[in-house]
Amino acid sequence: MVFLTLSCWIRSRGPDRYWRVQEVLKNARHFRGRKNRCFSLAVRAVRRAFVYATKARKAKRHHMRQLWISRIAAASREHGMKYPALIHNLVKTDVQVNRRILSDLAITEPRSFLSLAALAKARREEGFRAALGDGKEPAGVFSRIVQSH
Amino acid sequence: MSSFTKSAQQWASFARSWFLIDARMQPPGKIATMCSVRLQGKHKPIYHALSDCGDHVVIMNTRHIAFSGNKWEQKVYSSHTGFPGGFKQVTAAQLHHKDPTAIIKLAVYGMLPRNLHRRTMMQRLHLFPDDVLPDDVLQNLTEELPQPRAVPRKLSEYTQEERDAFPMLWTPPEDYRMK
Repeated sequence: MVFLTLSCWIRSRGPDRYWRVQEVLKNARHFRGRKNRCFSLAVRAVRRAFVYATKARKAKRHHMRQLWISRIAAASREHGMKYPALIHNLVKTDVQVNRRILSDLAITEPRSFLSLAALAKARREEGFRAALGDGKEPAGVFSRIVQSH
Repeated sequence: MSSFTKSAQQWASFARSWFLIDARMQPPGKIATMCSVRLQGKHKPIYHALSDCGDHVVIMNTRHIAFSGNKWEQKVYSSHTGFPGGFKQVTAAQLHHKDPTAIIKLAVYGMLPRNLHRRTMMQRLHLFPDDVLPDDVLQNLTEELPQPRAVPRKLSEYTQEERDAFPMLWTPPEDYRMK
């Protein structure tokens, strides 16, 4: 035998409007001033807040990318390269590491980042080395050409 | 690795370093870009705008900066006192004569981001008109940054042998009047 009357009564206590107001105010409790307790003020503020949150979800990707780029730029300048040169030559050498991972490497694994920067630098000077150099491979960089015989 | 060295690494990466720049015969804008990068901390891979990771920058010899072109006469610094008729305009030469650190300071201030951290970052900029630095600043210095421009030598700084050894670029005509 199951008594549903009491539980249904508990769930549906109070007038309907009260609960609808509470749904809005729930999202406005941390707002400043009367917006966190007066429904007519809160409802507008909550709507604006949701609009901002929706826009921010998209903008966050943009901002994070900006942050990664400024971090990579700082790290690559430590090794005497500019950011555009580094990225361009990493793309040319087919290093498929994105900016998020590159900035993580620059912070937590500086030596891995250094070797990537050295690779990009060697790729950058490849043309000059072919034209002016002695035909040897750059020191410390593993070449694409493997002599197997 | 032991935590002892790790904690030392942690301290080292968040410590503030003090950079020294010699502004003798350097363009103020070039000096200011070097400063603004380091004051913001944008030269570190751990950079974040809110994490306050900027360094200190000390600039000496700001009295001896060099503007190119006719900027000393033509560049105008404008301000307004807020009172009626209070619009002031001074040329770079007048401003420099009044305060030998003002030009660099304004250039750096204009290159920093316009937010609440700007005044804090400016507090970490130390300007000295000459090459005399106080002891508490001297003790903190960690690194001297290379100058963006080579300092030109005056004719009076060349020895007579060097002047004689300089190749003659053209033959003056007979009636050319040497100064």
